[in-house]
Amino acid sequence: MPITTTRRRLLAGSAAALALPAFARAQGAVKPRLTAISQWSAGSDGAAITALGKKFEEKGGVWQHSPVPGFTTEMMNKLRAQIMAGDPPACSQLKGPEIAAWSKIAPTVDLDAVVAAAGYEKVVAPDLARLHKPAGKWIALPLQIYSTNMLFLSKRAMDKAKADKVPVTWADFNDLAEKMKAAGVAYPVANGGTRPDDGQKFEAALAGISPLAYRAAIMNLDKKALDGPEIKAAFAQVRKIADWMDPNVGAQHFSTNLKRFVDGDMGMMIMGGWAQGVLRNAGFKFEDFMIAPGPSDNSKPVFLLNADAFIFWQRKEPDLQAGQTLMAQLVMDPAIQTMYSQITGSIPVRTDVDLSGEGWSDGQRRTAAALKDAIASNQAVLSLAHNMAQENGMTAAMIDVITEYVKNKTIKPEQAATRLAEAVEGAR
Amino acid sequence: MTSAVLTRPGRSAATELVRRLPEYLMIWVPLLLSAAHLVSFSLWTLWISFTPSTLVPVSGWVGLRNYTAVAASRNWQIAFDNLLLFGSAFVLLSAATGLILAILLDQRIRAENVLRSIFLYPLAVSFVVTGTVWSWLLNPGLGIQKLVHDLGWTSFKFDWLIDRDMAIWTIVIAAIWQSSGFAMALFLAGLRSVDADIIKAAQIDGAGAVRIYRRIILPSLWPITITVVVIQLQFAISTFDLVRALTNGGPGIATQLPALVVYDLMFQRSLLGRGAAAAVLMLLILLAVLLPYAAWRYIQRRRANHA
Repeated sequence: MPITTTRRRLLAGSAAALALPAFARAQGAVKPRLTAISQWSAGSDGAAITALGKKFEEKGGVWQHSPVPGFTTEMMNKLRAQIMAGDPPACSQLKGPEIAAWSKIAPTVDLDAVVAAAGYEKVVAPDLARLHKPAGKWIALPLQIYSTNMLFLSKRAMDKAKADKVPVTWADFNDLAEKMKAAGVAYPVANGGTRPDDGQKFEAALAGISPLAYRAAIMNLDKKALDGPEIKAAFAQVRKIADWMDPNVGAQHFSTNLKRFVDGDMGMMIMGGWAQGVLRNAGFKFEDFMIAPGPSDNSKPVFLLNADAFIFWQRKEPDLQAGQTLMAQLVMDPAIQTMYSQITGSIPVRTDVDLSGEGWSDGQRRTAAALKDAIASNQAVLSLAHNMAQENGMTAAMIDVITEYVKNKTIKPEQAATRLAEAVEGAR
Repeated sequence: MTSAVLTRPGRSAATELVRRLPEYLMIWVPLLLSAAHLVSFSLWTLWISFTPSTLVPVSGWVGLRNYTAVAASRNWQIAFDNLLLFGSAFVLLSAATGLILAILLDQRIRAENVLRSIFLYPLAVSFVVTGTVWSWLLNPGLGIQKLVHDLGWTSFKFDWLIDRDMAIWTIVIAAIWQSSGFAMALFLAGLRSVDADIIKAAQIDGAGAVRIYRRIILPSLWPITITVVVIQLQFAISTFDLVRALTNGGPGIATQLPALVVYDLMFQRSLLGRGAAAAVLMLLILLAVLLPYAAWRYIQRRRANHA
């Protein structure tokens, strides 16, 4: 065993040594070019990727980004069509376990040498790294991170309830919600009615109750864990949350209710870190709300990871290959990650980026700190609602159960747990 | 044409073909293209539905496994039940609304043109717009319920959009708003084509308005009613964008419809094989409506020819 390890290491090392000058030469000889597709066309997402393209051009590259606006699925349809036509983009947006699934249908680029040269692996959360090297080799690179279980507190609702302490555990959360309700906050929990919105409530509940159970049941689909008491407890907590939500939202997006949240008609919002950007874009001030890590019963932050990434597809053209190397280097660059996250409101993938400087918000700093703590205590887990924990088919089957449970108050937590286990079996 | 053939019998066939070539091209090329398009993709979908395809189409044979998986899924069962309810309620109610509107418009009223345009107008609006607007109107916190509450009637309740059992009716309402104008237009044409002499004869015989409608006019609208029902039914079966914008299958999965399930399986769950199976099932439902209609048309025509 030790011999093989050394040999493998030696091989990897020499491959890297061989590859690097080759990359350098390729870059010198041809103008690096990158064909890329993503869904990011407008708003802060569009602005961020355009800025990335500018940096690419500054390094002497030709940037050919074709955004496919709309849902991620539409971007995937284009990607599917291009792959089937034998003409994949040099790089495309893709995330979570879909990276592993899609890498089986077309050859991808082995990025191990570039990643090793940048010393990137040790600054990335382990669970996240695993997603981007499904067969042991880096084929994709994460770009930015959001936490899906940040807790947003309305300043005015807190004032109404005469509360100033940020809830740490679910018990604190429930107390505060009751207090708010008693103080006249119409709906202690602000919400949207979309599928991921419902999914986030459940994943925040379960991961906050027990990150271990979350990892076993949701990420590893362990049968015993799926039947465990934590799942039922999580569904029970979701029922409480659902009772505090405005039932009238129907299928609306969470952003519809932001004004009522800021006004103090709604108290707390469990939402991804991107809500900060949405709140700011809607003209609200940092004084209007507070951001904290989502409730965690062992008091240490639990981080539900959602990360956007690029996957690199094999191309024969030397200029595209040079472009892929350049793009990989840029995506891993702390300065680029800083630029990107400051535009979108996310946090950098690298855990060694200093967020104390200007251009970062308190929320982002707190999120980054939470990620660091969560990694240290092994409480950084992958989000189900945002397609990080399972492939789309499995995710959809599980979210079906969750969203029905949130909307149908006659379903008991035990029933929901059984249905969830059945849905997992059905989709396996 | 006949005279040309008569005067120059020798070169008729070739010149005739050349002369009529533009007509043939205009009719047959698009017809063949669209038929080939439709048939080839339907066959392709049929083939995919028997393969284990997931992310991309692959060959292989899994028999009816995709079909049994789809039929056993909760989503499809809910969608199918919803289709039965939505399809029948929507078709009957929109036909009835259209007929009533048409009869009212047929009373030689003033401003008929303006009214007709108004009733037809929703048809010009895309389903996504209809769905979005109705999702606001029917939202209890924003729309009709809030308006009535603000007017002072605070116990008024109209929250079908968020009620799992009633949500499917909100789709019926929006769909009727959208397409009863279309039914009205067809019925109106039918009403206008009733022979005025028969009506006059009935009037002379002393029949009242109600009786004339019941015994003479409505029976003569029968073929048009069938047309309206068939067209609306095939719309109902393929409804997608309206639901997507109005409820997106919610609350929970209470307003799933077959087309939503197909889209969901194919593009959200990346299960092409199962999605194709669901699409083929949809086609079968559609055929169950269209084949009897075609047979009925055929019998009608034969009967007419014999008479």
